[in-house]
Amino acid sequence: MDLGVATSEPVAREFLAVVLAGFGNELVPLTSNHGAEPCPKALVPVGNKPMIDYVLSWIDQSGIKNVLLICPAIHRAAISHHVHSDLPTSFRVDVQTYDESPDGSTGTCTILRHFSSRISEDFVLLSCDFIPPPSLSLHTILDKFRTESGTDGSIATACWFEATLPDKNAIIEDWGSLPPPTPIVWEENTGTLLYIDSADDSDRNSEELELRMSLLSKYPRTKLSRKYQDSHVYVCRRSVLDLVKEKRHFDSFREEFFPWLCKIQYQRVKRERYGRMLIPPNDDGTLSVALNHSTLQNKLHEKPQLQPSAAEPSEPPSPTEADSGIEPASLRIGVVLHQAADGFATRVNTVHSLLDMNRRVLSQTTYSLPVDPKSRSLIDQKAQISSDTIVGDSTQVAERATIKKSVIGKHCVIGKMTKIVGSVLLDHCVVEDGAKLDGCILGRGTKIGAKAEVSRCVTQAGYEVDAGETVKNEKLDVSDWTALDDEDDEDEDDEDEDDEDDDQEEEEGKDESESE
Amino acid sequence: MPPKFSTGKEKLLGDEDEVLQAVVLADSFNKRFRPLTTRKPRCLLPICNAPLLDWTFESLALAGVQEIFVICRSHSEQVKNAIAYGFFLLFSAEKTYTFASESRWSKPGSGIKIVPIMTAKETFSPGDAMRDIYTRGLVTGDFVLVMGDLVSNVKIDEVVKAHKERRKTNKDAIMTMVVKESGSKHRTRPTGNSSIFVIDPETSECLYYDAVIGYPPKTVANVPREILAEHPEVEIRNDLLDCSIDVCSVEVPSLFQDNFDYLDIRRDFVHGVLTSDLLMKNIYCYVAKEGYAARVQDTKSYQSISKDIISRWTFPLVPDNNHPGGEVYEHRQGNKYIARDGSVVLARTSRIGNNCLIGPSTQVSDDAQIISSVIGRNCVIGAGTLIDNSYVFDGTTIGPGCIVQQSIIGSGVNIRENTRISKGSLVADEVVVGPNAVLEPFQKLSKKRADGDDEDIDSEEEDLEFDEELIKAKLGTDSNAIIWPRDPPDEDEDEEGIENYKNQRFMRLGDDVADLAYSDEGSLSSDEDTDLSDSDSDSDMYPGTLPTSSTTSLTLESSVVAASDAVAVSEFQAEVTQSLERAFAEGHSVDNAAVELKTLRMASNVPLLRVREAVIAAIVEKIEIVEGGGIPQRQEIAKVINRWGPLIDKIGGVDAVETVTLLQSHCAKSKRLPLFPQILVALYQADIVEEVDMRKWHANPASKGEGVAPGPMKDGLRKCWDVGAAILEQLNQQESDSEEESG
Repeated sequence: MDLGVATSEPVAREFLAVVLAGFGNELVPLTSNHGAEPCPKALVPVGNKPMIDYVLSWIDQSGIKNVLLICPAIHRAAISHHVHSDLPTSFRVDVQTYDESPDGSTGTCTILRHFSSRISEDFVLLSCDFIPPPSLSLHTILDKFRTESGTDGSIATACWFEATLPDKNAIIEDWGSLPPPTPIVWEENTGTLLYIDSADDSDRNSEELELRMSLLSKYPRTKLSRKYQDSHVYVCRRSVLDLVKEKRHFDSFREEFFPWLCKIQYQRVKRERYGRMLIPPNDDGTLSVALNHSTLQNKLHEKPQLQPSAAEPSEPPSPTEADSGIEPASLRIGVVLHQAADGFATRVNTVHSLLDMNRRVLSQTTYSLPVDPKSRSLIDQKAQISSDTIVGDSTQVAERATIKKSVIGKHCVIGKMTKIVGSVLLDHCVVEDGAKLDGCILGRGTKIGAKAEVSRCVTQAGYEVDAGETVKNEKLDVSDWTALDDEDDEDEDDEDEDDEDDDQEEEEGKDESESE
Repeated sequence: MPPKFSTGKEKLLGDEDEVLQAVVLADSFNKRFRPLTTRKPRCLLPICNAPLLDWTFESLALAGVQEIFVICRSHSEQVKNAIAYGFFLLFSAEKTYTFASESRWSKPGSGIKIVPIMTAKETFSPGDAMRDIYTRGLVTGDFVLVMGDLVSNVKIDEVVKAHKERRKTNKDAIMTMVVKESGSKHRTRPTGNSSIFVIDPETSECLYYDAVIGYPPKTVANVPREILAEHPEVEIRNDLLDCSIDVCSVEVPSLFQDNFDYLDIRRDFVHGVLTSDLLMKNIYCYVAKEGYAARVQDTKSYQSISKDIISRWTFPLVPDNNHPGGEVYEHRQGNKYIARDGSVVLARTSRIGNNCLIGPSTQVSDDAQIISSVIGRNCVIGAGTLIDNSYVFDGTTIGPGCIVQQSIIGSGVNIRENTRISKGSLVADEVVVGPNAVLEPFQKLSKKRADGDDEDIDSEEEDLEFDEELIKAKLGTDSNAIIWPRDPPDEDEDEEGIENYKNQRFMRLGDDVADLAYSDEGSLSSDEDTDLSDSDSDSDMYPGTLPTSSTTSLTLESSVVAASDAVAVSEFQAEVTQSLERAFAEGHSVDNAAVELKTLRMASNVPLLRVREAVIAAIVEKIEIVEGGGIPQRQEIAKVINRWGPLIDKIGGVDAVETVTLLQSHCAKSKRLPLFPQILVALYQADIVEEVDMRKWHANPASKGEGVAPGPMKDGLRKCWDVGAAILEQLNQQESDSEEESG
């Protein structure tokens, strides 16, 4: 399929996908800087593929061809490089940046306000960390939005998925706590999202959920659940963005703006105030006029005359009356709920979910080792690698290494007699002879000294575990970068010479294999 | 402990395994049908020409109930007679009861044993009745609890089966409530008294119950978060019609006995059990998918249930089949029911509209029109009379040229010619109205009582004052009626909750509550405005959108209330001062003084803030000003604060920030202004006020005197605030000092 051939677009674009790639403060230390070099969250791999690839290919499959990718300015080079070279691009990715310091929190609403001039049509707002399940296509969500915004004036469609919580035992406290569940209220028949229990709400009343009676009388039968998590996939009318621009005090789209937007559906004053803005009256004009002229519509408008004698002589409704009788736009928020039984979905926004998602990718893949002969030759014959493991290209695995249920990145060096179980190694990691890894996530370029034992730890890029050390259940940060500055430069040099290194490694590998 | 009252019966029941018992609360415990119910209990009022209680029995018989206890309070003799001898026709002025036949229920072949239980007059609520059931030891197993005004064709036996099944696995499942899907705006679903159920869709356990009344409108439903902990996904239902059919286990009456403050079965018992951390009992819902069940709990539901019966929702309980009164009706096209015995006389030019029911031996004269109404037995409808959406009981005569709209006319009433009965009127038995009278909407009439009438009299009826001349002028020369006051709002305002006047309007026949329904939206929106004011950016965007006429009327009322409140508050303050002076003088203990204050507060129903204000004022004034100040002054302050300071926190709640604020505002207007810092320090030293509280107070812009008109008051506030700042500064220094020391 070569869609890239069609250069001109005869039809106006229907949707623009807006992908937000943040710093990934929740994934610290994996996203902490590696020396002076940033480690963007979007490029943290899941199953040896940067997480953003999942979202981008999901968008691609849905037929949306235009993506606005917004990332922090310092990540631009890396992300732009990845997006424009590594990805098979049949669609256009426009990488834009905003200036922000990692600790200063620029809210998603602020970012949207800033880029609103670049968004001229209905848009899909996504986060780079959503790993969509194979059974749920973006198409499903878009179609729901298309149908509902056309028929009854829906303004947005969200997607929530049933979160599968990890076992209590699997949670390592030092890795940070899981976000608390967010209860939502929705109506099942129409798939309408009615209430999101925002952090503000739970602060205000931590004992009770306060549900408006206007909600309950408008939607008398609703469901309330804490099982679902927001996928941060929002299909919105363009007019929603106008509202974002107007309500300047909102900071986070997910935590503040969207819960507020849900309230417009049933709060009368908000409807009156924002209804026209969200759905301009002329928007649905043609359809409704046509509907009014249909014979069916007239019948519906005639009220049954229960008291024929007492009532005044009935007149056929005049066209103007009929016009005013149109149901006002519902301003509904649609919601697609994805059940856990239909496939696993997650947002890779905690270290836990990153590890969890990697494991799930492993359980689904049968492919394990690099196919191309050059990389393949780096893996020693005597290494034991179970089939539920992924090993990246140009990674060297020495003899009698045992690797199970793990993801090994590219350009790693795995020493002799090492044992790696249930771990995720990002690119350029070095595990020296006899080291043991269990349930770890190693940031880019982590070095594990010989015979070190590391279990259930997560490390910052470039961290070094000394030989023979034993570490358990910890987040390992490179504490003092200034002290390591010198080494750092070397590191960078190393990276520049990566290719050469690889060659050398390959040679070494060959040597080894030849020697045997 | 239940008394060994009916050992014989228990033995009997023990022999027959699984006798399904039912308890019928045949009293409404409210006055919504007044004055129709002044001489007759509500459960004997006819609906579609059969007494309500009969419909209830019929519903229970359908469910296979074998033993029914009927708890009756008001007019209990009548209920008892009705059960024993059959339901009577009461239409002669001499009050001779003409029995239609022997009661079907008391015949040996009926298969149902009905036991009337006369309960004391002091039984004021369903809760009291349940306690009575407990003390009498009536029920021996699972039983069905219904109200004496139930019309239902729900298969209660299935509910009982489900309940027993559940009891086998879960001993704590004490009750199953039958609810019916209806939609939130169903005509039979009472607006003034509906409910929200939170149900686990898997087990149909009821997790939370909240009653909703029409006025004052409820704006938010508070669903406790903790239910989500055990039940990750629940359903919130605002579309269920509460049928008031409960299948209860035997411990339910004992729970009422243990919790003597439970009055209402839903609002107190269900709510109490579900929110209690101690009881650990479960209540389940049975959502009836099919069938019909509703209670005649007010005049509005009387109308809607009449219509439901006529439009055959209650099948097989319909007038032409299984009519509880034992009469036979012919079902004609358009849901017209005419008594089949051929005694009905319809003039050729009379018109009977759809959805009507005409009882036996009734005559309808020429040109009379009857629309969607029910006419009882032996009635006479005069020529040219219009009866529209009204309910006329037995033996009533309506003269020619009358108009009756959306009203209930009792039995034996005589409405003379050319009278107009406007919507919502209730005319009690044996009243004579007219001729040429015009009743205002929602008028209530009953017959003047002859002296020496020894029947049990509604006490309120006696109090009615009436001016004979005025009544003659209003109701026609021949009238024997008295006019009931149309609930003056100011009188009934003090009734809280469901029985308040405005909420009652939702339950009134013919009242569309247009104004209240609108103000409901209005108040919602005003609430909304405060919501928006958090976001200052747009509060001034559309200034003119809001205030509606109805909201202004509401504010007027609230200002009246506020004025009366102000009087109450000043009275209260005087009393508190007196009681404290006494306490100071006689040297009471702090605890005793606190108890006294609490009692005072209960009696005058003022917010806690006022109590605190008064206490602080009294304590401050107690401090004597020592000339020259200095150490003696400080000692004096410390003495008073140490002795009486603890009282501030004993009056029912601890809120130190408020304490400081009140102290400030009192000092600002008192001549003890210079003492403010010393008192504050004394309070701090006595641990009544913590440093955190002082900081909070200090951070509050109101403490700076913002929003107060310039003048001595503002200056005072400002001074206090400055002094407070100095104290905080000192505390800061001390802290940093101590830190330095420790560090």
